[in-house]
Amino acid sequence: MTLRGNTRKKVDWGRREFLLGSLGWGFAASGGLSVLGGCTKRDWRADTFIAKVQNYEADIVSAFGKGFRELAVGAEEIKGKRILLKPNLIEPHAGAGHINTHPGVVRAAAEAFLRLGASEVLVGEGPGHSRDSVLVLEESGLGDVLAGEHIPFVDLNYEPGYKARNLGRQSRLATLTLPATLARADWVVSVAKMKTHHWAGVTLSMKNLFGLMPGIYYGWPKNVFHWEGIDRCIFDINATVKPHFAIVDGIVGMEGDGPIMGNPHHAGVIVMGRNLPALDATCARIMGIDPYKVVHLAASSGRLGPIRESDIRQRGERIASVRTDFALLDRIHAQRGIRLGSR
Amino acid sequence: MMKLPDSQIVSQMETLRGRALSGGGFSHRPAGEYRADATAWAAMALAATGTEEGLLGMARDRIADEQQEDGRVSVSPEHPEAFWPTPLAVLAWEGSPAHREAQSRAVTFLEKTTGRHFVKDPDAPVKHDTSIKGWSWVAGSHSMVEPTALSLIALRTAGQGEDGRTREAIRMLMDRQLSAGGWNYGNTSVYGQELYPQTENTGLALDALAGRVSRNDVARSLGYLEERLTHVRAPLSLGWGLLGLGAWGARPGNARLWLRESYELQRKYGPYDTTLLSLLLLSFLATGGLGSVVGRQGAG
Repeated sequence: MTLRGNTRKKVDWGRREFLLGSLGWGFAASGGLSVLGGCTKRDWRADTFIAKVQNYEADIVSAFGKGFRELAVGAEEIKGKRILLKPNLIEPHAGAGHINTHPGVVRAAAEAFLRLGASEVLVGEGPGHSRDSVLVLEESGLGDVLAGEHIPFVDLNYEPGYKARNLGRQSRLATLTLPATLARADWVVSVAKMKTHHWAGVTLSMKNLFGLMPGIYYGWPKNVFHWEGIDRCIFDINATVKPHFAIVDGIVGMEGDGPIMGNPHHAGVIVMGRNLPALDATCARIMGIDPYKVVHLAASSGRLGPIRESDIRQRGERIASVRTDFALLDRIHAQRGIRLGSR
Repeated sequence: MMKLPDSQIVSQMETLRGRALSGGGFSHRPAGEYRADATAWAAMALAATGTEEGLLGMARDRIADEQQEDGRVSVSPEHPEAFWPTPLAVLAWEGSPAHREAQSRAVTFLEKTTGRHFVKDPDAPVKHDTSIKGWSWVAGSHSMVEPTALSLIALRTAGQGEDGRTREAIRMLMDRQLSAGGWNYGNTSVYGQELYPQTENTGLALDALAGRVSRNDVARSLGYLEERLTHVRAPLSLGWGLLGLGAWGARPGNARLWLRESYELQRKYGPYDTTLLSLLLLSFLATGGLGSVVGRQGAG
């Protein structure tokens, strides 16, 4: 199946899944890309905002305020709403802050939403590699921030779940079990980290939603999704959850062997938007990565959002002014040949 | 009722009792619904303190009532594939003649169940031997360290001898041990880089392997854990870390002080869930690994 407006590459679950399947970490669940389940292609346009933020001591709240204005996120929309912020806290290690969303970004996002009149902001995460959420909060530094600001934390790994029909239908999973907190949130906001990833190419706002899925039903790590196909499951979770907004912490991201073992990379940006594929495509371009060569982004193109550059209105900084190529490793299949401009 | 040795622990017991449900069993959080894992942990804690025999019996009965035909105990009836509480149930029923049959069926389920395995590809980016069978969190997924270690502890506690299945699971854990010491959830090296160890998994694996491999085989892991516990106070990591060291006769002298500091973290994070409260209590009472407190009435 050819992507709209792009004849360079087909949506091809099979190539990656063949590779992953041969490693035992993925499984070719079915044939080609389905267009069922409300994910039929259509024209999309989306706005994405890029702010230069040099370090975590900077005024991040103001960057959010400007971004909200540019993206028409105002008090009339947010007032009285319950906002669930979902950071990336996959696995904490003291002194390795580039693994997780920085606590300062989470705090600033909470403050920005509260300034718009949100009735409550809560932070929820189901860390993929660690069952000990207190350790995650202690070692990431987020625990002190949340306690200081009286922001509640919900460990999504242990939340009672409810079954939702899988609206993406790219994996064999007929339903997805989502945490109860999700049903009580008016707005779901992915607050991700800008990182390369050794199975998915990149981990940004879409991949970050793996952490919504309770470990009590999917395990630690959420290996069920590996067997169903990581890219397919990223698509399915996003199609089903339909998050309202996303933020990517790219002040210091991770390059190379992400999501854990890579090196810090200072990109000096925070990127945000209402449409996650558009936001992630913009982040990929900032990282010097072709979003059409990232399987889950290519698959999302036209179905969950736009990834073509001309369909995304860039607000704030231009991509060219902040582009900084993240190191990619040739030995990692998912990172091979995905550099922007490479053949 | 026996006298518990510490007022803070008495307070935690009261909190635990407050989680008991009228129909038997325990919730994971206050005012929550029944959960098999929370109930099994609470039952272990009640049994170890020798208190609340009525609640203990009702908890054990509730797990048995929810047990499925094939012996598994799942996290909820809607999710039979999430059978990871089964070894917890085996431990919760230990020492109860009335639940011997239920325990036996759960043991049989564990003996018949494995994670998903495949022949190791020498060119694969994951280094561990993917063919060695252990146990998984949920059906249809790969064997991981924690469910494998917990199943080994449960089978040993239930008096199962070392058979081929057990020996293979021990081999799996040894294969997943990091060369620098410690275990994580279950990956050793990916694309040529060794991953980080994790405290909780290391404690569990050490507890499961005590008496089954030589001290020399796990020396680096013991060293990693001893160093980590000097500053980790998060309850799951500390609780399992102390049990893991205790199983090797290396329980630190400050263990109870550290456990009190862990309880204190509730001022910052709010009340711990039932599993954490029970684990801390068991770790407080333990002299060695989990086996030193489970199935021994009034271990304190």
